Order: sequence, then structure tokens, then C-alpha cells
Amino acid sequence: MEKIKQQLKEILVVDLKIQGVAIEDIDDAGQLFGEGLGLDSLDAVELAFLIEKRFGVTIADMEEGKAVFESINALAQFIEKQQIE
Amino acid sequence: MPENSDNKIVFISGASRGIGAAIAVNLAAAGYDIWLNYRSSADHAQAVKAEIEACGRSCTLLPFDVTDEQAATEMLEPLLIQNVPFAVVHNAGITRDTLLPMMQRAEWDAVIDVHLNSFYILGRIFSRYMLSRRKGRIITIASLSGEIGQAGQVNYSAAKAGLIGASKALARELGKRNILVNAVSPGLIETEMITDLPLDKMLPLIPLGRVGTKKEVAGVVRFLLSEDASYITGQVISVNGGMHM
Repeated sequence: MEKIKQQLKEILVVDLKIQGVAIEDIDDAGQLFGEGLGLDSLDAVELAFLIEKRFGVTIADMEEGKAVFESINALAQFIEKQQIE
Repeated sequence: MPENSDNKIVFISGASRGIGAAIAVNLAAAGYDIWLNYRSSADHAQAVKAEIEACGRSCTLLPFDVTDEQAATEMLEPLLIQNVPFAVVHNAGITRDTLLPMMQRAEWDAVIDVHLNSFYILGRIFSRYMLSRRKGRIITIASLSGEIGQAGQVNYSAAKAGLIGASKALARELGKRNILVNAVSPGLIETEMITDLPLDKMLPLIPLGRVGTKKEVAGVVRFLLSEDASYITGQVISVNGGMHM
């Protein structure tokens, strides 16, 4: 789980190039969108695509995905659960 | 010094003949490597490939039907994992001209499929990879028929108008990622598509008094891929000799 979280943070900083944020600054429970890290809808699309490629886990429905994209914790839990199934 | 000095790739759909082939050769001359899609004209595709290679560029032939999502995915995904094109030119097109009261459902569907549903298929596959590159260009080849409507081409006009709307919407979606989307809209161009048209009646409607050449369309695509066009997105660039203003 910690490894997944670390990989997710790397995706945010390295691939999505979030301005002015270092990997160690990202709070596992913090909001990713809006007031938190300030990701937008295109970031969500890109994040979903990269998660599909790196973890082999598909987030097909962006509406359903909303809860999944809540935080690093929520995303990591979702990915781990999907990988087990 | 070629315009494109960092080995950029361009994917072109329907590029074995006509305007698509002219775009492929023109872009190769400007220094782009070409991913050349075609459906059935293998001999023509080989000839275009030879012309591209004569320009010193590489040409990857990608034979698949743009209306077949599974075929497109199976052919493109393995390539996209290795390399992401700088630009996509969606040019594939067909006509099934007839008046609407006489039009068969299959004639409507085929034209919408090849121009518009294929744009969903190709646009979706490519844009997912292009997003993270933070740069790129998408060009759709529209048509004057899609701008002003053309009798006998309700299907074709609808498909091309649809492409124009889709291009504008996608330009808005991808602008923040520096991916520029534009439509190039040819008028009467000397291809096999216009061989059955009554040109003697149509030429007087064109201020420049002649049909256009494929090269004149390809040149606009080349410009839209260049650094000079870096502030142009969501536009329809008409190449029609003034037939519609």
C-alpha cells in the first residue's frame, strides 16, 4: 500500500507536473481536486489513464471515479482492491 | 534545415490516395516521419511510402479500417507505448452521394462512420497519449460541404459539419495541454472525388476560376503543424479559392 501511494505521488509530480509541489509535500488524506492540490478535470483524465497503464486498473466511469479520486489514500485503496480481484 | 528537426511523427488517416497522400508526402518533405493509415489501397500506400522514404523520412504503414475500433486499438496501442506522434491528421473519407429521399440507410451510416465515428475512435486513442506530452496538433480534414451544405451530400455535409464541431470542442478541451486542434476545409480540389461533378457549371462560382490542387491543401496542414501556427486553435481554415467567404 505504501508503495502504491509513493507511485501515485510520483505520477502527480513527475507526469502531471503539478506546479510547486514536491512528493514529500503531498498529504495522503488531502483532497486532490479543488482546494487541495488543485487538480482539474484534464488531470483526472490523465491520472486515470496513467493508473490504467501502470497498475492495470481501469477507472471506466469518471462519475463513479469521483470518490476514488478523493485522496491518495482512497486511490491506493481502490487500486489495491482491484489488483486483488 | 528541415522545418521539423526533432524527429516528429505525424499519423495520417486515409493517406494512400488523394489529399491524404499529398499531405503525407508534403509533411515528409518538411522533415516529419509518417504513420500512414489506409484501408484497402495497398499498392497506392506502397507508392506513397516510397515517396516519403525518398525524402529521407520513415513511413510506417498501418492498414486498418478507421471505423473498426478494435482493429485501430490493436494496431496503434503497441506503437503508442513506444512513440507518441506530435500530430494526427484525420483525413479518411468517402462519398455516397444521392438525394436524401433516395438515400439508403447504409449510405448514410457508411459516410458518418468513416468521417465522424472514426474521429471518436482515433481521437480518443491518440489524445490519451498526447495529453501527457503537453504539446501536439490535431487536424481534421473537413469540407466546404460541411460549412455551407451541398445538395446530394446530406450525409457527407453532416459528417463534415460534425467534424468541425468536434474539432472546436476538442480544441477547448485540450487547449490547456498545448494541444491545438483545427479543421482544414477544402473546396473543389483536383482528386477523384470531383471527377463526376459538372465543373463547367461550378468554376464560375469560384473567384479564383479554377479548382485547387492537393498540394495547396497539404501546404495549409503543414503550416498548422509548424511553430508559426502556435497560437491558432479551434479554427476552420478554408482552402476553397474564395468559393465561400
